[in-house]
Amino acid sequence: MTVFLQSTLSGILVGGVYALIGVGLTMIFGVMRVINFAHGDLLMVGMYLTWGLFTWLGLDPYVSLLITAPAMVVFGALLQKVFINRVLNALPQNQILLTIGLGLIMSNGMMLVFTSDYRILTTSYSSSSFMLGGISVSQPLLYSFLVTVLITVALFLFLQRTDTGQAIRATAQDREAAQLMGINVTRMSVLAFGLGTALAGTAGALLAPTYYIFPQVGGPFTLKAFVVVVLGGMGSVVGATLGGVLIGLTESLAAVYVASGLKELVVYVAFLLVLLFKPSGLLGKSRM
Amino acid sequence: MGDRSGALLPRARAPRGFSLASLVALVALVLVVALIPQVIKKPLILHMWIMVFLAVAQGAAWNLIGGYAGQYSVGHAAYFGMGAYTTMLLLEQHQIAPWFGLGLSVLNAVLLSTIIGSITFRLRGPYFVLASIAVAEILRLGALHFKDYTRGAEGILLSGIPPLETPWFAIRFVGKVPFYYASLLLAGGVVLANWIVQRTKLGYYFQAIREDQDAAHSLGINLTLHKNVALALSAAFTAATGALFALYVRFIDPNIVLGIDVSVQAVLICIIGGIGTIPGPVVGSIVLVLLSETLRNPKWLAQLGIVGYDSAPVAFIEAHFSNAHMLIYGILVVLVIEYAPDGILGLSRTAWNRWRRARRPEAPSQPSAA
Repeated sequence: MTVFLQSTLSGILVGGVYALIGVGLTMIFGVMRVINFAHGDLLMVGMYLTWGLFTWLGLDPYVSLLITAPAMVVFGALLQKVFINRVLNALPQNQILLTIGLGLIMSNGMMLVFTSDYRILTTSYSSSSFMLGGISVSQPLLYSFLVTVLITVALFLFLQRTDTGQAIRATAQDREAAQLMGINVTRMSVLAFGLGTALAGTAGALLAPTYYIFPQVGGPFTLKAFVVVVLGGMGSVVGATLGGVLIGLTESLAAVYVASGLKELVVYVAFLLVLLFKPSGLLGKSRM
Repeated sequence: MGDRSGALLPRARAPRGFSLASLVALVALVLVVALIPQVIKKPLILHMWIMVFLAVAQGAAWNLIGGYAGQYSVGHAAYFGMGAYTTMLLLEQHQIAPWFGLGLSVLNAVLLSTIIGSITFRLRGPYFVLASIAVAEILRLGALHFKDYTRGAEGILLSGIPPLETPWFAIRFVGKVPFYYASLLLAGGVVLANWIVQRTKLGYYFQAIREDQDAAHSLGINLTLHKNVALALSAAFTAATGALFALYVRFIDPNIVLGIDVSVQAVLICIIGGIGTIPGPVVGSIVLVLLSETLRNPKWLAQLGIVGYDSAPVAFIEAHFSNAHMLIYGILVVLVIEYAPDGILGLSRTAWNRWRRARRPEAPSQPSAA
């Protein structure tokens, strides 16, 4: 029973970070209908940024988020303006290939600069944990989860309550209609890609204290982000949050009850099943 | 395929006739390529050619499903790895000769493709792409985990290939030359398959599905059947390529033959050369292989005598790019998608037409006036 509770808890905590990755991806898809295959690589850039700030300036990963997140907004907006914006009307396959190419450039460019060595970011609390009624709770995972909840709530409020948020949602619902209503959809696309990038980068920053950091780290996260988003329903922020937690749970339980080497395999099989039986996802109808 | 699709997609124009002159040129080209190992003995240069041929086979095989039928599978590593693992395991653990192994590889891949196809072809667009990636990843993770069958991350090292003995001739698989001809034969076979597909009814069905699935369906084309046929053909050739690759390189592990890089490479070869065309994968392979092999091992430039062994360019590439040859793939694909969506082939065709028009300004620009 303790094992079950333990793995459930850590699954939920990790799932929070997955949710953050998925929300970023779903936002980009919702607003631009572009599937971002470079999402995991954006996360990797966030990881390196956090690692650099920690190693060279001694900034704590949670403090440096204040630098990392805005920097990633700018990076994402730039990527959108220079590359993605030009293919918004191209074939979806070409958009996918473009983002694959951008991802390759990011991961291999990073490899040129930092080599493929594994880096670790060790904080004073990296391996410490609380005890909670016989269950140990990893400190960095808990902090990450709390930050994730905070960000998700803030994002949700932003999308629901502010004018800009509404404009983003309107663009996601119907690009042409939004344009007719006087919304600058090009600006909304840049903003959405920037925000999505920042969310991926933030997830990277939150993972940095507990994860190996290397240029190819992004790939599996890209695929996992898709699983999260498809499970929740493409374009749905609430769905992606739910999907993230569910995938975290599945992985964590599969690692204990199936085999630790097969946890990702179980996730992908579950993904195929979702695609087959409920391709619209759990909350597919609602859009952001 | 009416005028509408032709206007939307320039590559969808009807295939032209195959003149006698181009046939003669093709035969001459094949002869020249076939004679290369008799003239050039440098292993590194033969290696480069073998890698090009394998890439041509891999790319042209993907072209059947991705280029003609329009189904962008980013999971062809599944078939590549299936071919490589079937052949290697049969040879190493059951002493079954690779030519039988190759046949079984192809059979396995076709079976696998039918299973995958019947699941994933119910999905469209991005969902199909994602499902194809997931399937390949499931195989890779499975191969890593079930060590009893696949030896996991340790990989399989080939101890030796038995000679192929027939009453008429015997081939010993020593050195590069047998692999040169084997890979040339395979590449030629896959390109020929592309050529046949482009001009038979089957190929027209594929292309109709690519241009507009719903329209094709309403014309009575069985979508699931024809997508599955396209995938099975593509999978069969991809598996054969994987098997030959494994025999040539003599070592495989799950990341080498089942990794997502393999899937992406197959797509990039076609995109960079020119998707849905016959010469596209050939052009793409030559460009990609030469660039990436040069970055991985610049010494081959020295072997060709272009630069010295210790010259500055060799040292620079070795110091900076030997680990990041995939960077060039990334840059190329971004450039192609942004500036030349029809690949190098489309780009050169446009440039050629422009040059011809500039040379003969009196020629009418509208074909209707002729």
